[in-house]
Amino acid sequence: MPAFCYHRPATVEEAVGLLAEYGSDAKVLAGGQSLVPLLALRLSHPEHLVDIGRIDGLAAVDDGPAGFTVGAAVRHADVELSPVTGRAAPLVAAAMPHIGHRAIRNRGTVCGSLAHADPAAELPAVALAADAEMVVRSASGERTIPAADFFLGYLTSALDETELLTAVRFPSWPRSTGGSVAEVSRRHGDYALVGLAAVVGVGDGGRVERAALSFFGAGATPVRVTEAEQVLVGEHPDPAAFAEAADVVTKSIEPPGDNHATAAYRAHVAGVLTRRCLAEAAGRATGGGA
Amino acid sequence: MRESLMGKYVGARVNRVEDKRLLAGAGRYIDDVSVPDMLHAAFLRSPYPHAEIGSIDLTAAQALPGVHLILTGEDLKSRTYPFFGTLNFPRFYQPTFWALAVDRVRHVGDPVAIVVADSRRLAEDACELIEVDYEPLPGIATVEQALDADRAVVWPKSKTNLHYQASERFGDVDAAFAAAERVIVETFDQHRHSNQPMEARGIVAEVDPSSGEMTIHASTQSAHMVKWCIALLTGRRPLRRVVRQMISQRDHTKAIFKGMADYLKATPAMVAALKEMAPVMLKQNVTNVERTKAMNGAFVGLMGRDPKTLPAALAGDVGGAFGAKTAVHREDVAVCAAALELGRSVKWIEDRNEHLTVGSQAREESVDLAVAVRHDGTILGMRARLTIDSGAYPGFPYGGAVIAARLARTMFPGPYRLPALEFHSRIITSNKATYLPYRGPWEIETFVRERMLDVVARQLGLSRAEIRRRNLIGDDELPATMVTGPALDVRMSARRVFEKAMDVTGADDWEKTRAEAFAAGRRIGMGFATYIEAAPGPPGYMDNVGPGFSAMVDREPINAVLEADGTVTLHTQQVTHGQSHETTLAQLAADQLGVPMEVIRISYGNTRTAPFGLVGTAGSRAATFASGAVLLATKGLRDRIVDLAADLLEAAPSDIVVEDGRIHVAGTPSIAVTLADVAHAAREKGDEARGAARGDEAIRVSELFDGGAGGWSGATHVCFVEIDLDTGLVKIPRYVVVEDCGEIINPAVVDGQIRGGVAQGIGAVLYEKSTYDDQGQFQAGTFMDYLIPTAMEIPDIEIHHVETPSDVFANYRGVGEGGAIGAPAALCNAIEDALSDLGVRITEQHLPPARILELAGVIPTLSPSR
Repeated sequence: MPAFCYHRPATVEEAVGLLAEYGSDAKVLAGGQSLVPLLALRLSHPEHLVDIGRIDGLAAVDDGPAGFTVGAAVRHADVELSPVTGRAAPLVAAAMPHIGHRAIRNRGTVCGSLAHADPAAELPAVALAADAEMVVRSASGERTIPAADFFLGYLTSALDETELLTAVRFPSWPRSTGGSVAEVSRRHGDYALVGLAAVVGVGDGGRVERAALSFFGAGATPVRVTEAEQVLVGEHPDPAAFAEAADVVTKSIEPPGDNHATAAYRAHVAGVLTRRCLAEAAGRATGGGA
Repeated sequence: MRESLMGKYVGARVNRVEDKRLLAGAGRYIDDVSVPDMLHAAFLRSPYPHAEIGSIDLTAAQALPGVHLILTGEDLKSRTYPFFGTLNFPRFYQPTFWALAVDRVRHVGDPVAIVVADSRRLAEDACELIEVDYEPLPGIATVEQALDADRAVVWPKSKTNLHYQASERFGDVDAAFAAAERVIVETFDQHRHSNQPMEARGIVAEVDPSSGEMTIHASTQSAHMVKWCIALLTGRRPLRRVVRQMISQRDHTKAIFKGMADYLKATPAMVAALKEMAPVMLKQNVTNVERTKAMNGAFVGLMGRDPKTLPAALAGDVGGAFGAKTAVHREDVAVCAAALELGRSVKWIEDRNEHLTVGSQAREESVDLAVAVRHDGTILGMRARLTIDSGAYPGFPYGGAVIAARLARTMFPGPYRLPALEFHSRIITSNKATYLPYRGPWEIETFVRERMLDVVARQLGLSRAEIRRRNLIGDDELPATMVTGPALDVRMSARRVFEKAMDVTGADDWEKTRAEAFAAGRRIGMGFATYIEAAPGPPGYMDNVGPGFSAMVDREPINAVLEADGTVTLHTQQVTHGQSHETTLAQLAADQLGVPMEVIRISYGNTRTAPFGLVGTAGSRAATFASGAVLLATKGLRDRIVDLAADLLEAAPSDIVVEDGRIHVAGTPSIAVTLADVAHAAREKGDEARGAARGDEAIRVSELFDGGAGGWSGATHVCFVEIDLDTGLVKIPRYVVVEDCGEIINPAVVDGQIRGGVAQGIGAVLYEKSTYDDQGQFQAGTFMDYLIPTAMEIPDIEIHHVETPSDVFANYRGVGEGGAIGAPAALCNAIEDALSDLGVRITEQHLPPARILELAGVIPTLSPSR
């Protein structure tokens, strides 16, 4: 691992001050589950590491009127084990068991995963499906970035090098809405070959009012397949509609191929997951459960 | 008389002696070794599969504070001897090369420079500052490319990338094919994958600053092999100094020659082997002059060396090896050369990226096979052509590929009646990492044979059990001889093992079970594989590798010592790296001596105290060889103890009983002496009673065991799968192994060996692949790319034992490799079975989910075939 200067700021102000000072020479360290392996492989050479793990106020999970807010130092395991998550952010809860292994969830952070913007990770796709907002601070102030504008490319987010993602906010979970997260990975705990975070909202007439199909492992960023979502809206949530959406997904999605699976495989499995997740999400939407 | 023991310990599920320290984190692995003033090494490695090295600029790296030494391949020419081929076969080219690349890099990860610095981090920082000017060359990444005359040769002096060829015929092959009612042809591929022990490679070259003498701390399967290979290849001095030294130690030089003469006098088999090999050796000496010079230079250098300067080697706990640590690696030589140069100790610990890239790769083989059969499934003969991609640099002291080729040929018939076999072998060289032995290096024979039996059964409309029953050698046909030579003695139980596996799994009713599941929409499959394993094989088995091999390796030395305090130490040349020898050998010794196991200590891995042997722990040989040696030596020790105790107790030796460490006259247990009393008496009595005891040892008995009758282990694996054709994911709901490894010393140890091997076999099929692209660029350098199965992926493995009792001495046989030999075939057979209604024929071994869906026709075929 190359040498670096380690900083442990006590406040957000101090942290963003360091980022303003060092710019692209600095990296933010939270759970270290992505950054530390990159350092060990000497694929990243930051001169400064800014450890935000001890900053007061970043380690809180809050379920308020504005939604479900997860601070930058909150570990996956904190969210997974919180009694609030399942009710307040069921899609996040559904994603948790798929994220790495328990040891990774004990250290890795929710915001770290979002800021890292790995397109094969679960949480960016979940944020995109759930219309989450990123709360971002820099020395010059705070702004919020909608998830739809946050993921720009492979491992690339809308965060400026002087900005710190201080929290992610998931809007309050609507009524009669179900979520489902599923993925196919080669081994338990691996990054998904392809995965899906799906949301189905059902109106009073029993027809789909809102659908979100947000794929991970399917491109350079998490990918919403809006054509397939539109196929569902106004339909009864039944296997025929799900199959039609799945067909649209398989035909329109353009996933990458690599040594773990071909693009054709990922497109096919994206369709399979579409059927499976829609059935589960719709069941949850209409069954009253999350 | 039956010599085997079924005492208090032998046969029991005794807790492992090793576990107390290993599970408490108190093991001493190579990275736990820390010596005063130690420096740390890192290697600069080639990013290219194949390139000329233009210039190397070390200026910036050398200027980095904390950097002590940087050596390149060019620097090693005056400091080390090159690696050379030690084997002799016709039509075999062995390149000569240096520990660090000279002029040219030949695979991704080829070491170009060693940097020694105050810390590993600094050494790695310095590596990043070295400027190498590479001129990339086209890479050889496939067998087809290797054999394409228009492409580059990896070793220009050989003029071809084909480095080994052999063609042999056993039995009347033409008659077999003439009599055939059907000839069925198929080609099977196995992909490159990797040993991947938990502990990668590593070495600490400890240099005594006062004497300059070197002690090598190694993570190895054989301490003496490390010592002598390092001694052979390092410490190079100008020839005139070597000659001057030889003259100054004339008596020593004479003694070396006399020792060789005495050895040959006592080993007529070696003389015969040398005579047999002489024409081949002479031809190689003339045609491969580079090798001849290198070999002569190194051996003369070794003879002209003050024996006091020879290194010692120490192995502590070894965190797995699976064959990779039978070699002395190029990095080992570079580290030792750097340490000798600096006069300071140097440590190198391989990281996982390095180990995946260069540390151990194996198994890249294919076989073209034609089988001559009758309509009833009787096999009449086979024609096979094996091709191995051995990578760029062969291992040292021997290349794993040629050994694998020769053993795969020998074992090709397995436990089946095969009257005729034509077997061609080819080894090609490519721009890939070194091919090393991996747990059951000849495993391709079982994969191909068991896969082909399923293919043949389907073609002939027979059940897969039926074709095996028709051809398996039964008890009533034993003893028998494999058409390739090895003898099958009456303990070879493959047929019985197979039938038990069928009984345990209800395999004969499988077709019905599967049909019902298919009707219910569940895609299930079952596959089996039957094999025997030469663990250690019949006497002389290793001569199938080459003449003289058995004479060289079929000798297991051991020293059994009664210490002054009444404890017993067994000094062995074995270097246990997961085989639990500290437990199993102690079980045998304790039962033989009549003492509690706690009294026994197994001493290994130290060339200063271990008896000489180059094999160490390898080839599943220890169960027979080390066990037999322990029984012999502890029997001798026990006789001496009883004689002395008889004196002390004023009784006849025949009346003496040893129980729980107390020695008394039969019938009067209240009047007893202890081992400490006997030790005291021996020391009082002097030389005659003490044997070869040294220092404050009380009694020392040395023995050499030749392996006795040896014998075969064997097993049938039965694998059940369920496949999701939406995703291509394969589940293994049940995995059964029925095995026979003779009498079992410790069932827990046997089960553990089998489970580990099966896990690796499952890994090969579903997860593990050392992927190279078609230019030779390596693409699996992390555990995110190279997937190892975890506890989540490996099912409970159900194990049933068949024990074939015998009066044969040391009726214990090895079981270290079988799990990995049987599993790939059993799993692939099960997968094909689950896809059988789709007409799928599986001819490759690596079947990740995308490939399953391609084979099933669910998605278009785009995956590379290997």
